[in-house]
Amino acid sequence: MTLMEKLTILADSAKYDASCSSSGSKRKNNNGLGNAAFWGICHSFANDGRCISLLKILMTNCCMYDCKYCVNRKSNNVARAIFTPEEVCEITINFYKRNYIEGLFLSSAIIKNPNYTMEKLIETIYLLRNKYKFNGYIHAKAIPGASDYLIKKLGSLVDRLSTNIELPTDDSLKMLAPDKKSKEISNSMLTIRNNISSKFAPAGSSTQMIIGATKDSDYTIMKKSNDMYHTYHLKRVFYSAYVPINNDKLLPSISMPPLLRENRLYQADWLLRYYKFNVNELFDNNTSFNYLVDPKTDWALRHLEYFPKEINKASYNELIRIPGIGLKSAKKIISARKVFTIDFKDLTKMGINIKKAKYFITCNNKYFQNINYLNKELITSNLINNKNTIQLSLFD
Amino acid sequence: MNYIILYDGSLDNLLSTIKYLFKEKIKPINIVNEIEYVPNLLDYSLKPDIKDDVLEINNKKAFKIIYYIYLSNYVKKELLIYYFLLNYFIYKNKIFNHRNLKCVNKALDVEHKVAREAHLLKGFIRFKLINNKFLYAKIKPDNNVLILLSNHFAKRLKNEYWVIEDEKNNLLSIYDKHNFYVIAKNNIKLDLNGDDVKWSSLWKTFFNTITIKERENRKCQRNFMPKKYWKNIIEMEDEL
Ligand code: SF4
Repeated sequence: MTLMEKLTILADSAKYDASCSSSGSKRKNNNGLGNAAFWGICHSFANDGRCISLLKILMTNCCMYDCKYCVNRKSNNVARAIFTPEEVCEITINFYKRNYIEGLFLSSAIIKNPNYTMEKLIETIYLLRNKYKFNGYIHAKAIPGASDYLIKKLGSLVDRLSTNIELPTDDSLKMLAPDKKSKEISNSMLTIRNNISSKFAPAGSSTQMIIGATKDSDYTIMKKSNDMYHTYHLKRVFYSAYVPINNDKLLPSISMPPLLRENRLYQADWLLRYYKFNVNELFDNNTSFNYLVDPKTDWALRHLEYFPKEINKASYNELIRIPGIGLKSAKKIISARKVFTIDFKDLTKMGINIKKAKYFITCNNKYFQNINYLNKELITSNLINNKNTIQLSLFD
Repeated sequence: MNYIILYDGSLDNLLSTIKYLFKEKIKPINIVNEIEYVPNLLDYSLKPDIKDDVLEINNKKAFKIIYYIYLSNYVKKELLIYYFLLNYFIYKNKIFNHRNLKCVNKALDVEHKVAREAHLLKGFIRFKLINNKFLYAKIKPDNNVLILLSNHFAKRLKNEYWVIEDEKNNLLSIYDKHNFYVIAKNNIKLDLNGDDVKWSSLWKTFFNTITIKERENRKCQRNFMPKKYWKNIIEMEDEL
């Protein structure tokens, strides 16, 4: 098999993992090749609009498991391949030198057993770091069920080490990934959490959940994310809209991945991590989001009693709860109003988009165009007619 | 008197010139690089005779803003720097809050644009290996970000020989494993031909394979990776 054929098979089988980030590490170029960029760098964007930052490949797609949703499951009749460690190193180095990539994202299907699979990953990354003196970003997947010793070894070589939780509940996991044990997944995540340091996965850990392959609600998913952020100190939870590739009576029959839902979950995730929302607030008594608007607007429309907010007085925490006002805009506002009184015109001048915010704020005690818009139906219809609110832009 | 002030194109000389203008209380209608200046009958142009008496700006953030504006393609960038500095000496550290002042707002925007372009190109620049000897890349940026990129790659590709060509400004940045040197392209003969097909075709294959067909979204792709850069992004060149 040629290198081209292997790369095709092993990139194709890795592409469903949503993780794309290359941030969080300060690794220096220690007289070899490469370094990490703390804020991450996107090198390209695929035809599906997703960022390409790392060479995302599997060591092998030969799998002994049979997860229902996965292309690589053993019951599928697909072309299989195994990279040698040298091959992975060669491609990484040569892509990196040409600035195609920011580093390597290496994962694997389960071949023989979890420990054996992990050893292959370790052997490869060890070679890359030591023989090839590669100091670029490496994200590796820890294989659940592998020994703590191996997890520690892998963690000491990479920038980010993560384990996929796959589905938000144990029951869903049992149903769709019968060979995976939720206990093993959580153990692996705990071991990683307990070892993170400047010498062990300095860019921390992330995980991913498949969205829409089971009946789990948005609430169940966000609750799970929230718990995981607290328990495992994750940097990110990725949401991967289920792509219908296999036929199985346990899988939903849909023709398109639920992209809008995925987008709303990402937005809600930001609200949890950076906007100081708690999960229950995001839903009140609902179990799913109103997909027509973003989750912050959704919340605001349920809580009009909280508005309008006066731009010149509201605290930082209040500002970031205004629909359409992001963290950067809130900081700009705080900095600007120290020296002058902000008007609607000023907001626009500062590059702050008030398409959504204008309904929820006053500037210098005046409503936008002097009209009080604070009415749920009015705002909703204005926002929804504006097709931009449903436009997808998923990746930071 | 309406003065157009000339300077030699360097940042040092620009800052000395501005210091002189402050001292003499001259408000110019423009400040331009003498090479680009086309004399006409209406303007009164002046190149002050100044020593290397550079204006000191000890606020790091303010200096960065000025440096980035200097690298930008903003038409009246020198005048923008002049007005930004005029206000800087009034408001000191508080200057960054003053988005209500046109020149401050503009200065921050221009800085942001330059920083953004440099950041994007750190990802989008593509090298090819020429004759197994050195890496070579071509860029056509809006702003003069060659030095910012060179700083980045001097760390990242420390043990490689590389050359980055700025097609727009006709400059080359040449790195010899120790330092990089920026020179005019016409001053040097380099053989930049040679093919690098093995790895570029593997990369194109990877690029095409990684797309999830069911998620195709070319608009989103174009938003993140502006079309103006595609010419030098090897995996996109066939799209043009
Ligand atoms: S373990 Fe499951 S999800 Fe992973 S490659 Fe094998 S079948 Fe796919």
